[in-house]
Amino acid sequence: MLRNWVHIFFYNIKNSKFFTLLNLIGLSIGITGLVFAILYWNDEHSYNAWNSQKEKVFEVINGMNENTEWHTSVAPLGPEIINSTDKVASYCYLNDWYFSENVYYNDKKELVENILNAQASFFEYFPFEFVEGNSETALGDNTIAISETTAKRLFGNEKALNKIVRYSGNDMVVKGVYRILGKSSIRPDMVTNKIEQSLKNNADSWGNYNFGLLIKLNDPKDKESVIKTIDDIYYRKKIVPVSKELGLSPEEFIEKYGEFYVKLQALKDVRLGSIDSGLPEGQGNPQFLIIMLGLSILILVLSIVNYVNLATANAIKRAKEVGVRKIIGASKGNIICQFLFETAILSVFAIALAMVLVELVLPYYNDFLKKELVIQGGLIYSQLITIFILLVVIAGIFPGIYVANFETLKVLRGNFGRSKSGVWLRNGMLIMQFAIAAFFIVGSYIVYEQVKFMSEKDLGFNGDQVVEIRLRRINTKVFDRYTTVKNELLKIDGVKEVSTGVFGFGEGARSTSGFDYKDQSIQGQNMGVDYGLLEMLDVPVIEGRDISPDFASDTISSMLVNETVVRMMKEPEPIGKEIKWNGTNLKIIGVVKDFNLFGLTEEIPPMVFFHIKTISWMQSNLDKVYVKIDADKMEQTLADIETFWNKDVDIEYAFEYEFINKKYARTYEEYVDQRNLFSILNIVVISIALFGLFALASYSIERRMKEIAIRKTLGASTKDLLVTLSKQYLVFCIIGFLMTIFPVYYLLSTWLDNFVFRISISVLPFIIGFIVLALLTLIVVLGRAYKATRVDVLTYLKYE
Amino acid sequence: MIEINQLSKVFRTEEVETKALNNVSLTIKEGEFVTVMGPSGSGKSTLLNIIGLLDSASAGSYNLLGNEMVGLKERGRAKIRKQQIGFVFQNFNLIDELSVYDNIELPMVYNGVAASERAKRVEEMAERLGISHRLKHYPQQLSGGQQQRVAVARALINEPKIILADEPTGNLDSKNGNEVMELLTDLHANGATILMVTHSDYDASFSQKTILMKDGMILSEKQQNKNIDIVVNS
Ligand SMILES: Nc1ncnc2c1ncn2[C@@H]1O[C@H](COP(=O)(O)OP(=O)(O)OP(=O)(O)O)[C@@H](O)[C@H]1O
Ligand SMILES: [Mg+2]
Repeated sequence: MLRNWVHIFFYNIKNSKFFTLLNLIGLSIGITGLVFAILYWNDEHSYNAWNSQKEKVFEVINGMNENTEWHTSVAPLGPEIINSTDKVASYCYLNDWYFSENVYYNDKKELVENILNAQASFFEYFPFEFVEGNSETALGDNTIAISETTAKRLFGNEKALNKIVRYSGNDMVVKGVYRILGKSSIRPDMVTNKIEQSLKNNADSWGNYNFGLLIKLNDPKDKESVIKTIDDIYYRKKIVPVSKELGLSPEEFIEKYGEFYVKLQALKDVRLGSIDSGLPEGQGNPQFLIIMLGLSILILVLSIVNYVNLATANAIKRAKEVGVRKIIGASKGNIICQFLFETAILSVFAIALAMVLVELVLPYYNDFLKKELVIQGGLIYSQLITIFILLVVIAGIFPGIYVANFETLKVLRGNFGRSKSGVWLRNGMLIMQFAIAAFFIVGSYIVYEQVKFMSEKDLGFNGDQVVEIRLRRINTKVFDRYTTVKNELLKIDGVKEVSTGVFGFGEGARSTSGFDYKDQSIQGQNMGVDYGLLEMLDVPVIEGRDISPDFASDTISSMLVNETVVRMMKEPEPIGKEIKWNGTNLKIIGVVKDFNLFGLTEEIPPMVFFHIKTISWMQSNLDKVYVKIDADKMEQTLADIETFWNKDVDIEYAFEYEFINKKYARTYEEYVDQRNLFSILNIVVISIALFGLFALASYSIERRMKEIAIRKTLGASTKDLLVTLSKQYLVFCIIGFLMTIFPVYYLLSTWLDNFVFRISISVLPFIIGFIVLALLTLIVVLGRAYKATRVDVLTYLKYE
Repeated sequence: MIEINQLSKVFRTEEVETKALNNVSLTIKEGEFVTVMGPSGSGKSTLLNIIGLLDSASAGSYNLLGNEMVGLKERGRAKIRKQQIGFVFQNFNLIDELSVYDNIELPMVYNGVAASERAKRVEEMAERLGISHRLKHYPQQLSGGQQQRVAVARALINEPKIILADEPTGNLDSKNGNEVMELLTDLHANGATILMVTHSDYDASFSQKTILMKDGMILSEKQQNKNIDIVVNS
């Protein structure tokens, strides 16, 4: 029987090579998309999966008020938690960012990018495998643990244990070498223990949120009760004393400033969880993951629909074969099996082709996701087998059942070729294809519009020809060093202006501070700047004046605020008002026009500007110089700056600079990528859908040839016939399009909700989408129909 | 009305060349009822198809209502078909997907007749042919005789100058066949010009003139039982 089936299969393929090929390509593309989505999915879900502690370890996130959550905690909290409950086994403080510094071994200098500063218990939270030394003794005063890779870089093939390296001016002993076992929310190249000293210094400070904090619960189920314990601690240790200081009752304090609260997120959820995490490897993008998965499933569905449609349409041609089989005793089940078998063969080819496509496209996909996905491991193969089974069942069972239910007699009597049976199924699927295609066309147009909007948006500052140069600190007199550098830079030909600020575009200020004005409390971005920065960036001061070297007070007690601050202050006359800012009295001398400091997904924050020298600790945040360069001399000037820099400013580290426009564009880079992806998928989807339409129109027109001949006999003109033949497809197109309006509107609105600065969805994408879809439909259908009207009438009138 | 002069039709396939019509000349006057008879393959259908502008001649001339048809483009042929000619086929050639009503209406749609006028005419025609109660049915739900009546109704609906019928009774039993023949006779009595192909002497007896064909040539024309011999030049 199998041989018979195989024979029939290849016979049919030979008879419709073109459609079989397109079917195969369509299915392969669909599978390729799904494999990509699954690879991405697997990768994101593999984060911390290796970590035996992932259920018990929780990241502590602090809610300061309704709108502000910090990933950092105060130093006394950990010990206080241990005192207050026995449900928490331990805590571990760490910096939730990496240092990137040079490490020296003898004459060797290596820039180690990801240096983590953590308490010794870190390796209980992230139980990396130790290849040298052990996790208990690795961290202590002046000892470090390093990754296998770092060990290799520093020591080659020599043993690393007990080697002494120089780091940050100190001699450090390597007491452990570890191997990271898989994707991890923290993957340090080196771990130090310097945090202990700062913890000691802050042991009683309930106001300095400087440290990342992980806690380990004995039983993850106790999460809620631990949250309650920590909330209580905040009440006792923060609200009660602070409110007393302010002369308020705790209730009044809460009324006015809101409550401090805590959120706990288990390590296993950190990567894709809904709570913002501060862990240095960052979080995945669950929304994008879902989009990818959703879209790839849509595309696969589309190609399956094509397959089913063609198979059922083709089945009519094969009705005779099936009829004969039934008469000689084939059961329904037997016939369905035959179809499943045929689908299985095609699926094997499709999957094989898909894997080739995946291999070819994977490098680009990795570029796009900034990942290093590979096809390996049992998981992806078992998923492929699942896809295969689903494909065979879904794509094979419809045509199988459909054909098995043919009425044998009707079939053999012969006029089955024009039977209407199965038409509703095919038309329904066609409408669905139209809907999916319309979704993609309209959706990608909206995405395109939003990205265009972002790239053209007036950001409120002008970063043309302004570069940001990284200035590493070598001692505490950062501002003096900056001033020297500035004066030298200004001597270079092509350098027009030099200034600095303790913030980054798209990143925000290095620190924020809360201050009160009358009844309002405002958490402002601390925009410490040097003279001339606002001017350099074309940010206008709309009221009052900018800080200036002409006023001695401008480095002592002057501040500017942006419009957002003024709005929050509810003060019509902000100039001249005094504000108590972290214990210093500052007077508002000007109002700065709002500009986008963060990406367009975020509101313009309240910003407070003052000269860096005004606040003594502000200069410790100074880590860059802004330089405006003459556009005509850009290349030469940059080269000159680099030479100067490497010779006179920083001989240890490489010269690093970036254009601030480019840096800002990075805030929406991911959406540019999404737009590009969407456009590519758009082409894929439209091609698959049009192919389906073409195939179905071909079958349908073929079946209607006699009708066409009769109409021609009655005197129908070519135009009449084209209308008759294409009308229904246009109707399907319209129905499909209408079906898609609401889902597109809803889903794209949700997507646009990512942005504070966004377009509103207009009718334009819908009009354009409809025109494109209708035009493509007409081209395909009319092309096919026109061919049909050219045929010789008599051929079809003669034969029944 | 129809003047055919030295008309030939040659079918060429890869292996053979068939001369389906060989220098046929023929005149049909307005109001005539003519039957064409002859053995299978003698070229009857071919002649009818050329007269009906479904096929074109290889040589000769064909004049319909004073206009030369040979060399006419498809657009012009379609126009004449829909305005001047009604077809009745052996296998009815109704559109299965359309109801009886829609089938009958179709030629008027192509002739741009107004919808209200169309409805009126379909009702009248159905009344005349006794298929009023079948208008909502689909062709597959009707008997052969009923289907042929629908086909006749469709052929007549535009009041064509000429009706071409290719073995209209070929698929019908004698009772239904008779009914169709009576219908055609009626039409003829009312002034219609009819050209019919048939294998039945009985059916031919309804007509005024019978043309006998063989091997693509006209052997004889028989007028109302009187024989008129035609000189055959081969
Ligand atoms: N499309 C075609 N291609 C090739 N030869 C054809 C074609 N149509 C008809 N013929 C040939 O032309 C000749 C005349 O055919 P035609 O159909 O006119 O015969 P007929 O008299 O109508 O026969 P019947 O009584 O069987 O209907 C036949 O020999 C036939 O084989
Ligand atoms: Mg014939």
